Amino acid sequence: MSELKVDKVSPRSGNYVALNTVGSKNIIINGDMSIAQRSTSTASITGNGYHTIDRMFLGLTGAGTWTQSQDTTVPTGQGFAKSLKMDCTTANGSLSAGDNCILQQRIEGQNLQYLKKGTASAESLTVSFWVYATKTGTNICELYDTDNTRQISQAYTISSSNTWEKKTLTFAGDTTGAFNNDNGGSLTLLFWLAAGSNFTSGTLNTSWNSVTTANRAVGQVNHADSTSNNFYITGIQMEAGTTASDFEFLPHDVNLQRCYRYFYKNDDSGGAGFIYVAHPMFNIQLPVTMRVAPSCTDSGGSAITATNATGQVTYTGPTSTSFSTKPNVVRLLYAGGTWSAAYTYGLGCIGYPTGLLISAEL
Amino acid sequence: MINSVEKIYFNNEFVSYQMTLNNGKVWGVPLDEANSDYQAIQEWIAEGNTVIDNGGNN
Repeated sequence: MSELKVDKVSPRSGNYVALNTVGSKNIIINGDMSIAQRSTSTASITGNGYHTIDRMFLGLTGAGTWTQSQDTTVPTGQGFAKSLKMDCTTANGSLSAGDNCILQQRIEGQNLQYLKKGTASAESLTVSFWVYATKTGTNICELYDTDNTRQISQAYTISSSNTWEKKTLTFAGDTTGAFNNDNGGSLTLLFWLAAGSNFTSGTLNTSWNSVTTANRAVGQVNHADSTSNNFYITGIQMEAGTTASDFEFLPHDVNLQRCYRYFYKNDDSGGAGFIYVAHPMFNIQLPVTMRVAPSCTDSGGSAITATNATGQVTYTGPTSTSFSTKPNVVRLLYAGGTWSAAYTYGLGCIGYPTGLLISAEL
Repeated sequence: MINSVEKIYFNNEFVSYQMTLNNGKVWGVPLDEANSDYQAIQEWIAEGNTVIDNGGNN
């Protein structure tokens, strides 16, 4: 048996780095691309949105048409099982000035306070990730402070076509502009895939400064210039300090719970409700407290039943579904539909559609 | 992206928006200033668009 004897334990000085002591050192949620509640593949993407992988927003204006998917192509021997794939299906080899394609994650300010941004003690941030792309050349990774409209960019090079490469980039701490201590978006990590001249016509801004759009993505290659182009990314980690540690793998349930704060797909079709002024109403308790009161959409066909003295009656044809939500509960009230026969008051109803989408995204 | 927005009432109280997107998807949006869809609706209104308001009859 080993024995460790010490005379004194003291705090480390000098390169001491603040850690997020509440849990994860990785500021990025779902950086291993393992959670995809919305869909594992979405085709014909031409605009902004959360399309497949949880927490990964795609900003897209004019820079081609894409299929985004959760893919099993991953770097060998690194422990990853999934990646985010961008497959260009309609090319744009001649970008207009404002065109862009950017993968990004938006981060709440209250989760970033330990970085001490806006003080003399501001922490550096190190971003590491694995990338695999058909197109080689210069790419831009950017941090954008939405509270203070400041940004910093760094270039990295994809050296070999269709080969996994690990990239590590360290961004200096910013002594100007504190992050708001609230649940709004404060910092965005961006990976550019295409950038029109509005974003490339200046000089790349590699230190924190107020935003000059022309300096954000100078040198960015255009991954949208051919339908042969694919772009994969996984293992995104952003942590305090100047060194990249090994990727922090979280248990699947922990990762999923973190994603639920921003988006939850309810696949339970057997909810129990009651009847309010002749229409079905359901209260759905959410699995975690979401970032804000969420938006909801009813993506499936309604299948709602109740009972009367002779058996089951059904409710069909609602023309609208209204929602009243709090960060931890959603209330569904259907309207405009009809019952197949008289129902019995007080016995309630069951149903509501599968695929109820509940979003509190940034 | 937003095609139309309607106020939703419950017990004659304005409780949420119903937002219809150009792709036909209908979202219920809470009256929470930190909700990004609520923010998008406010921008849409600021651009001169009009919210449908049927009072407490829906």
